[in-house]
Amino acid sequence: MGRYILRRAVQAVGTLLLVMLLLHLLTTVAIQLNGNPAQAFFGDKVATAAQIAAVEERFGLDDPCYDQVGNPCLGPFVERLGQYAQGDFGTNLRGREVSDIVATAAPNTLRLFCVVLVTWLALGMLLGSLAARRRGSAGDHGIRLTSVLIDAFPVFVLLIVYRYVVAVPLHGWAERTFGEDSWPPYWFKPSFDADHPWATVLVPGILLGLAGSAAFIRLVRASQLESYQGDHVRTARSKGLGERHVVVHHVVRNSSVPVVTAVGLTFAEALGGAVITEGLMNIYGMGGVLWEAVRNDDVGLVLGVVTLLAAVTVVVMILVDIAYALLDPRIRYE
Amino acid sequence: MSDAVNAAPTAPRVSASNPLAEAWRTLRRRPDTVIAAAVLLFFAVMAAFPGLFTSTSPRTCPIREARTTPQGWGGDHPLGTDALGCDVLATLVHGVRPSLLLAVVVVGVSLLIGVTLGLLAGFYLGWVDYLVSRTVEVFLVIPLLLAALLVLSLFKGVDLGAGTFNVILLPAVVLILFGWMPYARYVRASTLEAKNLDYVTAARSLGASDLRVMVRHVLPNAIGTVTALLPTSVAGVISAEAVLSFLGIGVRPPATSWGIQIEQGSQWVLGGAPHILLAPLACLVATVLALVVLGDALRDALDPRLAA
Amino acid sequence: MSAASRMRSAAEGEGRGTRHSPGAERSEGEPKAQPLLEVTDLVVEFRTSDGVVRAVDGLSYRVEAGRTLAIVGESGSGKSVSSLAVMGLLPPTARVTRGSAQLAGTDLLALRPRQHRAYRGERVAMVFQDALAALNPVHTVGYQLTEALRARRGLSRADARTRAIELLDLVKVPNAKARVKEYPHQFSGGMRQRVMIASALAMDPEVLIADEPTTALDVTVQAQVLHLLAEIQAERRMGLVLITHDLGVVAGVADDVTVMYAGSAVEQAPVGPIYAAPAHPYTRALLRSIPSTAGADRGTRRRLPVIPGRPPSPAARPSGCPFHPRCDVAQDLCRTAVPPLTSPAPARLSACHFAADVLANRPPRAAERRDDRPQAAETPTTPPFDEQVPGGDHE
Repeated sequence: MGRYILRRAVQAVGTLLLVMLLLHLLTTVAIQLNGNPAQAFFGDKVATAAQIAAVEERFGLDDPCYDQVGNPCLGPFVERLGQYAQGDFGTNLRGREVSDIVATAAPNTLRLFCVVLVTWLALGMLLGSLAARRRGSAGDHGIRLTSVLIDAFPVFVLLIVYRYVVAVPLHGWAERTFGEDSWPPYWFKPSFDADHPWATVLVPGILLGLAGSAAFIRLVRASQLESYQGDHVRTARSKGLGERHVVVHHVVRNSSVPVVTAVGLTFAEALGGAVITEGLMNIYGMGGVLWEAVRNDDVGLVLGVVTLLAAVTVVVMILVDIAYALLDPRIRYE
Repeated sequence: MSDAVNAAPTAPRVSASNPLAEAWRTLRRRPDTVIAAAVLLFFAVMAAFPGLFTSTSPRTCPIREARTTPQGWGGDHPLGTDALGCDVLATLVHGVRPSLLLAVVVVGVSLLIGVTLGLLAGFYLGWVDYLVSRTVEVFLVIPLLLAALLVLSLFKGVDLGAGTFNVILLPAVVLILFGWMPYARYVRASTLEAKNLDYVTAARSLGASDLRVMVRHVLPNAIGTVTALLPTSVAGVISAEAVLSFLGIGVRPPATSWGIQIEQGSQWVLGGAPHILLAPLACLVATVLALVVLGDALRDALDPRLAA
Repeated sequence: MSAASRMRSAAEGEGRGTRHSPGAERSEGEPKAQPLLEVTDLVVEFRTSDGVVRAVDGLSYRVEAGRTLAIVGESGSGKSVSSLAVMGLLPPTARVTRGSAQLAGTDLLALRPRQHRAYRGERVAMVFQDALAALNPVHTVGYQLTEALRARRGLSRADARTRAIELLDLVKVPNAKARVKEYPHQFSGGMRQRVMIASALAMDPEVLIADEPTTALDVTVQAQVLHLLAEIQAERRMGLVLITHDLGVVAGVADDVTVMYAGSAVEQAPVGPIYAAPAHPYTRALLRSIPSTAGADRGTRRRLPVIPGRPPSPAARPSGCPFHPRCDVAQDLCRTAVPPLTSPAPARLSACHFAADVLANRPPRAAERRDDRPQAAETPTTPPFDEQVPGGDHE
C-alpha cells in the first residue's frame, strides 16, 4: 500500500511538471504571436508603462526567445519553476500576490465544494440506488427523465435564471416572511455575503451540484445494476443474508469503486463549474477571482490561478487513487 | 446465471449484424428521439439559411426602438428588440451559425484525434500507449473551462479576422485541445477489449495488415461507446461557448452568439425587458435538451444491458 | 472418467441379458430412507420478450441424508434453474408456477420470501460454478466465510475468525490462519472453489447444492475438489446435489443420477446401473460421448460418437418427446406423444416410450415389428412396477 502511494505520488509530480510545461508553452505562443510580448498580459487594455515594466520583469519577457515564434523558451520556464517551488505564483495587476489572493479565496471555494459534494452524493446515491433497485418501474423512468432534464440545463443557464429571474423576488419574499435578520433571506441573496459565507454559498452550491448530479445518478444506477446482476450478490443471498445487508455490503459497497473514481474525474469539471458559479454569484472564491481576472484582462492572475488549480487537481487525483486502492483490494495488491 | 435465462431471449431473434444499425432501428421507433431530431434539424436549417427566418439584419439597431416588447408574428420585431435596439429574433437566428459550427467542428476534430490516438495506443501498447496515456493524463488535469479561460484571455489581443471560421477559430482550437481525451480513453479501452476477440486474432493470423485489422475489425467494436457520447459532447460545447461568450472571450464580434445575447439580456430582466434574456436562453435549453435526449436514447440503444 | 469407461466396458461385456440386476445397487444403501429434500413436479417459467418460456417442466427428485444425487444435463436443460428455485434465488423474471420442494417436512416453495431466507444457508446451501465471480472481490475471504454467522447468529469478531480458520482447515486450504485475511483474487482457482465450499458449509446445512463446482477448474484440480466434496459429504452425512454437464465427473462421487433434458428428467437411477445399462437414448448418447482412454490402449481407436443437433431452446420445444429430433431410435410415436416417466426395471425411471428396449440395448419394438419379429417386451405406457412416477410413493 505504502509503495503504491509512493509510486502514484512520484507519477503525479511528473504529471504536474508536464502540466506546467504545457501551460508555459501555451503562454509562450500567445506572447510570441502578440507581437508586443508584455501587451499579451493586458488583453484589450492599455497598460501603463509601470505595469508593462512589472510584467516584463516578472515573466522575464526581455528574454529574446519571446520574439522568435516557435521557440519553446525553456530558460524562462526553468526560472518560473523555481519561483513556483518557492510558493511565488506572481501578482495581479495591482501587485497583490496570487498566492495571497488564493489563500483568502480558497475557504469559500471549499465551502462551495462541500455543498456540491453532498448534493452529488445525496442525489446520486439516493436516486441512482432507487432506480437500480426498481429497474424498469415508473420510478426508474421518472428518475431517468429527471436526469435528462437536469442535463438539459447547464450550470450556466441554471445560475443565470436563478440569479436574474428567481433570486431577487425570492429574496424579497424571504425578507418579508421571515424578517431581515433570519437565515432564509441570506440563502436567497443573489450575491455572496462575506459575513454569512455558508448561507450565501448554499443555494449556488446546490445548483452546481444539481447540474453535475445527472451523471452521478446514471453512474450509480449503472454500477449498482451491474452489482445486482453479479454472481457475488447471488452468493450473498444464498447465505440467507437479509436484503438490507446484501444491498449495503455487496451492492453499494462494490459499486462505490467506480463512483469514487467518478468523483475524481468529475472534480476537474466541477472546478470549471465552480468558476462559473462563483463568477455569476459573485462568490469570493478561487473561481470568482479567476472570473473577475478574465473580465479585467488580468492575464497574470489568470495564469497564476490556473496553475495553482491544476496543482490542486493533481493532488485530488492522487487522493482518489488512494481511495480507489483502499476500496478495491485488487488494485492494492497489484 | 442459468443458460436458459441467457438463451431464451436471444435465440429466436435474428442477431444484429451491426450495433449501430440496430441502434438506428431502435431510435427511429421512439417519439422522443424523433422530436429531438426535428428540433435539431430546425436549428441546423436556421444556421444554414438564416434568411428563411428573418429579413431583418442583426446589425441595424435603431437605438430609439430599444427594448421593444415582443410583438408576435407579423410585427416588425416578433421577439422585440434588445437594449441597443437590435432585433432579438434576427440576432438569435444569426447567432445559431457560430454556435453550432463551433460545436460540430470541435466535436468532430476531437473525435478524430481521440479515436486515432486511442486506437493506436490500444492496438500497439508499449511506448505508443505510454505516450498517449501520459498525454491524456496531463491534459485531463487542466479543466476544459479553465484552459479556455486562460488561453482565450492570452490570445484576446491577437487579431484573426472576421470570416465565418475566423470568429470561432480560437475557441475551437482550445476546446479541441482540451476536449479529445475522453474519446481517446474510451476508444483505447474498447480497443484493448476488441483486440483479443477471436475473429480479430483470426484476421491477424491470416496476415491482414495492422491498418486493416484496426479499421475493419477493431474500430467498429470501439465506436459504439463513443457514439453515445457525441450528442452530449455537442451540447457541452454549446454551453461552454455560451459561457465563454458571456465573458466576452468566445465567439468574436461582430459575430453574435446566444452567449453574448444572454450576457446582454441578463442586465434587463428586472428592468422590464426579460425577453432579451429569455429568448436566447429558451433556444439554448431547447437545443441542449434535444441533444441530451438523443444522447440518452443512443446510450440505451447501444448498451441495452442498462436500459430501463 | 476412467471409472466411467470401466463401467461402460463392463456393461458391454456383461451383454444383453442383465435387465433386472441394475437395481441391486440400491439395496446396499439405506432401505428407503426418509428423503431430506424432495422436489416434486417443479415447473419454472421465465417471462421474456417472446412470451412465457418454461425452463423447468415437471422435475422431481429426492436427496437422502448421506447420499449424493447428480443432476446431469447440457446447458439450458434447466438443471441450474431448478436448484435456484429450491434456493429461492430465481431472477425476478422467473417464477415457480407448480410443484413443491419439501425439506424435512416444509415446502420451501410455499414459504414467503422472508421465511425462505431463514432456510437459505442454514438448512440448504449452495456452491456456485465460478468462484471468482461468486465471491465478492472487495471483502476478505474470512469476512465472506463468516458473514452470515455474524449477521444471523451474532458471532463476535474473534469467534468468527476462529470459525473462519476452522472452515478453511476443513476444506484443506493450507496455512488457513494467514489466508483468512486475504482476498479471493489472491487464491488459485482450486483454492477459491474450496473457499466457496467452506462458505456454504459455514452454517452446517443439511443439504448442499453444488452447481457445476468444478467446471471452471483444471482437470487435476477438478478431481481434488470433487474428492473433497465427497469426503465432507460422507463425514457430515449431508445430502449433496451435484449439478454437472459431465457424466464422467459423476461416476466416482454420486449415488444416484438424474439426467435432465429440455427442462425435465429423462432418466433417474442409481449410478451403477445407469452406467451399466442406460434406459434412455439420451443417457446412452451422453455415455458414448465420454472420451475413453481404454479404446486407445486396446488399439481399437474409434471415432467418438457425438449427439447430432443442439439442445432445444426452451422457447421452441419440439412436439412429442423433446429429444426425438436428436434421438437415434426415434419412432413415429415419439414425434406426437410426450413419453411419461416409466419404470422399465426396479429403481429405474426413464422418460422414453421404448425404455425397456433401450435398457435391453435392442432396437425399439416398433422398428422390430416392421421386421415381423416376435416381441415380448411390456408396454412402456403401463409399466408393471409400482414406482412409475416420481413422488408416486409420496402422499
